Amino acid sequence: MSPLTMYQLVALILLLAGLFGITQRKTLVGMLICVELMLNGAGLSIVAAAQLTPANAMLGQLGTLFVMGLAAAEATLVLAIIVVIARRFGSTKTSVVSTLKG
Amino acid sequence: MEVMAKVAFGLYTLIILGGSVLAIGAKSLVRAMVGLIATLLGVAGMYMLLNSPFMALMQILIYVGAVCVLIFFAIMLAKAGPEGEEAESAPIYQNVLALLAVTVTGGVLSWLVLTRPLATTGVPVEVTIEKLGLGLLGPYGLAFELISVVLLVSMAGAVLLAWERRNGK
Repeated sequence: MSPLTMYQLVALILLLAGLFGITQRKTLVGMLICVELMLNGAGLSIVAAAQLTPANAMLGQLGTLFVMGLAAAEATLVLAIIVVIARRFGSTKTSVVSTLKG
Repeated sequence: MEVMAKVAFGLYTLIILGGSVLAIGAKSLVRAMVGLIATLLGVAGMYMLLNSPFMALMQILIYVGAVCVLIFFAIMLAKAGPEGEEAESAPIYQNVLALLAVTVTGGVLSWLVLTRPLATTGVPVEVTIEKLGLGLLGPYGLAFELISVVLLVSMAGAVLLAWERRNGK
């Protein structure tokens, strides 16, 4: 098994852990943690693919840097949304925030 | 050196595995955050192994330093019950559906990864920080400017969303 395959499998484990968690968690913060896990898997996969193949390595590293920047922006917005939801519903459980359910 | 790299890879994989199990399984969200931080540090170690130390430093600086602190703020601002946020367990059908999603996605993706190996160079390429900086100022300048716009907009949006209006307005 080539090193690239092993790195991709670790990234796949991160993605699957995030996917399992995001369907499992019952609070918004728990889901946010799982989203960060999935984004880390994506970053690891991009850097491994860029560093271990003849592809443009600089592009891979910069792409992962942008993924990190987007993750920071996303975490900022989700923090604000959680503050608003905690103020309006009194809880951040996903079962409470179900006004659209009808 | 080859053996050392394999040992380090195994160690980081164990850290990532343990951290992600804690992150998705812990009853208390603060413990889940500790697991997430362990996972992030393991991924930073992977970046070091991939001969990209700048990415490892950025991983620690941005993720552990900024994103995790933000999530801790979110945990503090969302009032939790005394027994932990994730105390009651999920219903059975939800577990089954989660396992189904994980096995289908994992099966397809691992089949693709294992049966379509790419041509690899044995040793990771080295990219100096100087080249990365020149890339950000040269061919990828537009993306660099756009990410700063995204960060500014998200910051302004967060302030606007969380703004507490004074009484009477």
